[in-house]
Amino acid sequence: MNIKQNIARLQDFYLLSIRAPLGIFKRPFYFKEIFEQMDYAGTGSLFIVILVSLFIGMAMSMQISAELAPMGLKMYTGKTVGISIIREIGPVLTALIYAGRVGSGMASELGSMTLGHQVDILRVHGVNPINKLVTPRLISSLVMLPALTVVGDAVSLFGGYYVAVFVSNQSGSFYWSQIRDIMDMQNIVSGIVKPYVFGYLIACISCYVGLSTRGGARGLRKATTSAVVYSIIFVIISDLVLTIILFKLMGFSI
Amino acid sequence: MIEFDNVSLSFGKRIILDKMSFRAEFYEKIAVLGGSGEGKTTLLKLILGLLNPDSGRILIDGRDITVLSESEMRESRMKFSIVFQEGALFDSMNVYENVAFSLREYSALPEEEIEAQVRELLAKLDLEHAIYHMPEELSGGMQRRVAIARSLSGCKPLMMLYDEATTGLDPLTADNICQLINELAAGESPQRLGFIIVTHKVTDAVKVADRYMYLRQGKIAFDGDLSALKLTADPELAKFVEELHYCIS
Repeated sequence: MNIKQNIARLQDFYLLSIRAPLGIFKRPFYFKEIFEQMDYAGTGSLFIVILVSLFIGMAMSMQISAELAPMGLKMYTGKTVGISIIREIGPVLTALIYAGRVGSGMASELGSMTLGHQVDILRVHGVNPINKLVTPRLISSLVMLPALTVVGDAVSLFGGYYVAVFVSNQSGSFYWSQIRDIMDMQNIVSGIVKPYVFGYLIACISCYVGLSTRGGARGLRKATTSAVVYSIIFVIISDLVLTIILFKLMGFSI
Repeated sequence: MIEFDNVSLSFGKRIILDKMSFRAEFYEKIAVLGGSGEGKTTLLKLILGLLNPDSGRILIDGRDITVLSESEMRESRMKFSIVFQEGALFDSMNVYENVAFSLREYSALPEEEIEAQVRELLAKLDLEHAIYHMPEELSGGMQRRVAIARSLSGCKPLMMLYDEATTGLDPLTADNICQLINELAAGESPQRLGFIIVTHKVTDAVKVADRYMYLRQGKIAFDGDLSALKLTADPELAKFVEELHYCIS
């Protein structure tokens, strides 16, 4: 692919990323599609998010407890696990699960519609594919990814609690008191801003890749893989950028 | 009127259309023939403005659509309706919802009125019994008929565009689709609903069309009526239409 085509693709992605959120305020509103997408993205991902978060929380608690025990500091397991989960692991982990499950689904569904000329039919009937297909998926991601992150955080903390109390023999009430202590505005904002940005990126990347699918079954496979790979890369990069910005804004000191 | 003026289009290094020029009236019954990958579907997409050429002009009723924005294109697209290969039905919608799609999107009609119009259209195409079926429950022929019903609902096109409308169907079903195409194009020009059918099945093309265009290497290698097509001196085209001679004999 030459430079001209790459620039054109970047321009198309940029336009989609601008037009999709603007579609939220534009008639017609596709409520049915929005609720369908929310059901697919949210309800459908709930089990896997709970499962993965539970085991990650348990594993983290075990690792941290083991490191802190020789220094006689294992009672701080709750605080360490809580900060890691709420600020960093929870949002990133949930976003990665979301990219793998929902992002790939968006890309393959839109890719299949593109290859099957269904997107062309929308355009022929005067329907804007971005308003009809991308905006509902973006709204669903902006609502469901933060919600899933909150659920995933809570489950991880419970997993951490289980290991701290029943494996590492720590005090359960002290564990929760430490979690309460770290639930200040700085940490909560830091943990809740990220899923919105990740949701926006995953929805835009996956929809763009899906809508630009070419070349039959092989193209569809490539599109699905690309959607997940690009989403993961952008989530990880934006996580660092957001962490730097939030550290500055929220007054964290390193 | 549709006018292609030196239209060229490439996908990467592959040349699809090479300075193609032709004119067609909306009431004409045209079959575009050619092998796979010769740009037949691309031609239809260019007419609808779904693709933009690399160079050249495409005039619809004298207006160059290559310079129009997506929103400005709607007026030009309303002159046409397209039936894609395999129907391109929305697989999350049943037959009723597929046919009601454009009525729901662009008319303020109450649901009762939409239902009446959809039922009337489906009855005309003998599809009333399948009204609540999902696309995957339909046979290939029924999917094409639903696609034709959808292309006619909520709009009054001047010309139909059929992309491989009979490909992949058994001869009997393909014949039914050809009959349907002929019924829709009944009447005298210039009032009748003309069409461009893109196909590689010459035997189906001759059942419906009265003008034939053969695409080869991005150019129109032949443009004429059936008698000229049968007598073509072009060896490649002669081989392409060989099947036709068997059918006639």
